[in-house]
Amino acid sequence: MLLNFDRLGAWKWILLGITGLTTAFLILPIIFIAALSFGSSQWLIFPPPSWTLKWYAAFFADPRWLEAAWTSLRIAAIVTVLSVLIGLVASFGLVRGRFIGKEALRALFLTPMILPVVVLAVALYAFFLRVGLNGTFTGFVIAHLVVALPFSILSITNALEGFDKSIEDAAVLCGASPLEAKLRITLPSISHGLFSAAVFSFLTSWDEVVLAIFMASPTLQTLPVKIWATLRQDLTPAIAAASTLLIIVTIALMLLTALVRKGLKS
Amino acid sequence: MTAPFLHIRGLRKDYGIVNAVKDVNLTVERGEFMTFLGPSGSGKSTTLYILAGFENPTAGDILLNGESLIATPSHKRNIGMVFQRYTLFPHLSVGENIAFPLKVRRWGKAAIDARVRKMLQLVRLEGFEDRKPAQMSGGQQQRVALARALAYDPPVLLMDEPLSALDKKLREEIQHEIRRIHQETEVTILYVTHDQEEALRLSDRIAVFSKGVIDQIGTGPELYADPATRFVAEFIGDSDFVTCRILSAKDGRADLSIGAGASISGVPVHGTAVAGGTAALMLRPERLSLRREAAREGTSGLSASVTDITFLGSSIHVAAAAPSGETISVRLPFGHEATSGLSRGDTVSLDFDPETAHVFCG
Repeated sequence: MLLNFDRLGAWKWILLGITGLTTAFLILPIIFIAALSFGSSQWLIFPPPSWTLKWYAAFFADPRWLEAAWTSLRIAAIVTVLSVLIGLVASFGLVRGRFIGKEALRALFLTPMILPVVVLAVALYAFFLRVGLNGTFTGFVIAHLVVALPFSILSITNALEGFDKSIEDAAVLCGASPLEAKLRITLPSISHGLFSAAVFSFLTSWDEVVLAIFMASPTLQTLPVKIWATLRQDLTPAIAAASTLLIIVTIALMLLTALVRKGLKS
Repeated sequence: MTAPFLHIRGLRKDYGIVNAVKDVNLTVERGEFMTFLGPSGSGKSTTLYILAGFENPTAGDILLNGESLIATPSHKRNIGMVFQRYTLFPHLSVGENIAFPLKVRRWGKAAIDARVRKMLQLVRLEGFEDRKPAQMSGGQQQRVALARALAYDPPVLLMDEPLSALDKKLREEIQHEIRRIHQETEVTILYVTHDQEEALRLSDRIAVFSKGVIDQIGTGPELYADPATRFVAEFIGDSDFVTCRILSAKDGRADLSIGAGASISGVPVHGTAVAGGTAALMLRPERLSLRREAAREGTSGLSASVTDITFLGSSIHVAAAAPSGETISVRLPFGHEATSGLSRGDTVSLDFDPETAHVFCG
């Protein structure tokens, strides 16, 4: 190897320092917010004067918080299912299809990833005003589907490209119809791609705030929107508790992903 | 007359303006081991894929027991196939892989279990049923693929260069296995390869493919001893070609002269021989004898000068240049008296039986 860590001498410590700083920069805000959620002060003071669980009690006692969390969960779940299904069908077309403009179409599918979300939000808002989808559950799902789909398509096309089509052909010659061969052989073989697609789609919807602010109505809002709205009215540490719960779900999903990946490999 | 077991008739396949298969005609007997031999792009694999139903022919027909296969989709053709690449289902165990075609056919559990055991026995992989494909070597994977393809007793087994990813020693070992399994199961096998040695080792008959047509069909010895075209002569066995002039030709034999000296009579001729025209004379290295003197006028001996001598263990390979500059190779057994003391630049005379040489015109 060109750079051998053990032979770097003093540089080693500088590298370690930079790594430590970067990690701290990324992780400290999360630790900070988690610590605040257990603090007894009602003004989000750091360090907290003493520790308490009352903000979590407040969160679970308030039907508005729970409703926002439940809305988030429902939207994320439906977006996940649709995103994986549409992503799967689109990926088959993009990988196996033979048509003009395939590469262009593939790039087009990925544009929501690079387009500024706020631009997308304004465009969707204007469009939904015309068709009457603003503030509706369906509008939420469509908006989040637009940003989640690129992740699905990316991971599923990758998995499908790594899958040798001869294996599917072998299943067909064994007597399985083309559809049966795809369901029983191809899908299980690209399950890691489907799983990544599901996790990324869920997380994209779960903690998405910009589109959600545009789509929300006073009666329909997701957890991130509720956090944002509450933050503008008062600074109750219940916000910190809600944020911490949001993060816990995310981290739990990431851990699950890592575990499943490991399981799939062995 | 009964219909042949498998009959490929006037098969043609175009991809746009590219003509991959021009006109393939072939009959295969039940239980026969038929190899499609040819370089890449000769149409042999395309023909196999049409048989499997993955490609539709532009024209022509395939009849199995007198009935056309063309309209039947791949999964209903009941044909077995082993692919060039490893195609075991990665998420299923070896046993489940072999059971897959049987489950698709709705066999009962007991029947499936018994069949899987029997197939594992056939390919000599007893005790491997719980392994995953990733835990097996390439050779073992191809044997499981063979077991899976034979599990449902298909009338025809297609094999598309199944050993090309394996190293030479393993390849020979599995060629042996394939021969044994062919004899035990009496399944009809169509085998595609570009390796002449593999074709000769395995096949009952070989169809030599070139540019979308079959140049010749025959047993290995037939193709070797009596090649119909220059291409077949080049592809089966080693051969060198020397330019010659046709003196006269009749009844499939020609008299010819090479350079100024040698004249040879009674050489089997292929193509249209025109007296006075030039043609290519094929010589096999192992059919030539070497004398250490200049060829005498009026004999069939060819004068040549030695350009290289290579020791190859059991044989010695002598390369010699004909007066025209064309290289002729001679293979002699190790210790042959003519080779002792032979060195580069020596003039030698190369003799051969006209029956073993062939002239290709046009």
